[in-house]
Amino acid sequence: MNYSLNPEAPKVMHIDLNSAFASAEQQAWPALRGRPMGVTNRLSKECCVIAASYEAKALGIKVGVRRTEAMALCPDFVMLETDPSKYTWMYQNLLRIMKDYSPNFTMKSIDEGVIDFHGVRLKRSLQDIGYEIKRRMKTEVGSSMRINVGIGPNRFLAKMAAGWHKPDGLDTLDSTNLIDFYKGIELEDITGIAEAFSARLRAVGIMTPLDFLAAETDFLRKRVFKSINGLYWHERLRGFEFDDQPTHLGMVGRQWVLKKASADDAWLRSCLHYLAETVGMKLRYRGVEARGVCVWMSFNSGGGWSDKRMLRASIYTNQDIWLQVSKLFDRRPKHMVIRTMGLYLYQLEPSTRSQLSMFDDVIKADYLTKAMDEINDFYGNFTIFAADTLIGSKNVKQKIPFGGTEYFNLLLKRA
Amino acid sequence: MDPTVAINERVDVVAVYRRGSETDVRCIPHRMRWRGQDIELTELALRHPTVQGKRMIHVFHVSDGSNNYRLEFDAEGLTWNLVAMMSGGLA
Repeated sequence: MNYSLNPEAPKVMHIDLNSAFASAEQQAWPALRGRPMGVTNRLSKECCVIAASYEAKALGIKVGVRRTEAMALCPDFVMLETDPSKYTWMYQNLLRIMKDYSPNFTMKSIDEGVIDFHGVRLKRSLQDIGYEIKRRMKTEVGSSMRINVGIGPNRFLAKMAAGWHKPDGLDTLDSTNLIDFYKGIELEDITGIAEAFSARLRAVGIMTPLDFLAAETDFLRKRVFKSINGLYWHERLRGFEFDDQPTHLGMVGRQWVLKKASADDAWLRSCLHYLAETVGMKLRYRGVEARGVCVWMSFNSGGGWSDKRMLRASIYTNQDIWLQVSKLFDRRPKHMVIRTMGLYLYQLEPSTRSQLSMFDDVIKADYLTKAMDEINDFYGNFTIFAADTLIGSKNVKQKIPFGGTEYFNLLLKRA
Repeated sequence: MDPTVAINERVDVVAVYRRGSETDVRCIPHRMRWRGQDIELTELALRHPTVQGKRMIHVFHVSDGSNNYRLEFDAEGLTWNLVAMMSGGLA
């Protein structure tokens, strides 16, 4: 059967740090090398593993396993708290190494990145470059640092190739071996196809990756995905690029799981105010203003509450954000004990704050915000802050972001 | 569970400064005196920078072949602190 695969020579490289946080700790503490260990955000009785070493994974201790379960599987299991400065340094090193090979590179998260070699004059094969990057990570960062390298004609296949032989693998996927590769995997092994999606595919008779590949565009668009995503998947599976577009910024927010569930109004307000200030930083970092505000929370007894509001004028300063957030927060059912709370700003639009306002008080507030941001940039995390956030700043910890790296430079500045 | 032991004590350190490339570690703690005992440091496992406000701190994870130590050099105060240690036997 002719699948119309992309015949182009693979030019995209995906680099993935194996068990990044655990490897970083094993590098730092030689006593941990070769032992089952993991890291967690905050050590507590019921904390979860957020990164496990390969020795731990071999025993069935994976990401998301609770401490008690891990200890039952392996009584010698070692758990450390995350050390963000160590991981940001790893990230910076990976970034520095990737920059040496192509001007077109993107970090997809703290431990993985993509180098696009389209338009780059290559004097050697991508496989050679991949092996060199692996060597450099070991010599320039640490002997415990292992990376997986995947090479493919598009970002999707490069990522799939990077996950083919873990740990420390280097694989290439292209039109010559793609069919054999699909024959050897299940639907759930495809990046982006989790249980819910695979169930949807199976419901329409797509039982294997090869069936998925053989499905017509119209069938995927109209019957399976019921959107343009059907076309994207049709092309992506064949090695054509559909994942190099910048994502649209829809909202800016932050959430926080309380160490101990609480209904104490003053304490909660201080913590929420602190969250609102960090969201304000993110908003200004992205150069946008927001028209919508939402505050949400989940309760200790189950269930939750949220409220949102669209504003006539956009907001930008910490004072304006907190004013709106606190109004919404005051509407919550006050007797409920809160377990998780968060806020987000939406309906974002490019900031026009560089334009002069007609109103004196608006200009003053803008200048004040700009001055505070600059001082905090220079002197570090929350050098100047609202007095009301004092309790919050001691309770809400900045954790390592797992998703996109949009705010990473902001965190590096303020870490 | 967590085998690191917090110490947080000022220590004397002899460090070697080497001429190296941009990516090489050029300052290597060689020996440390802690509680009257001289400890020979045989492995530099990892060095990374961090900041505390505007203070630059260089974190050195070192080993004497048996125990592991986290040393921090405060680039403003020019002081060395033994922040934590981990026994090689993890006890």
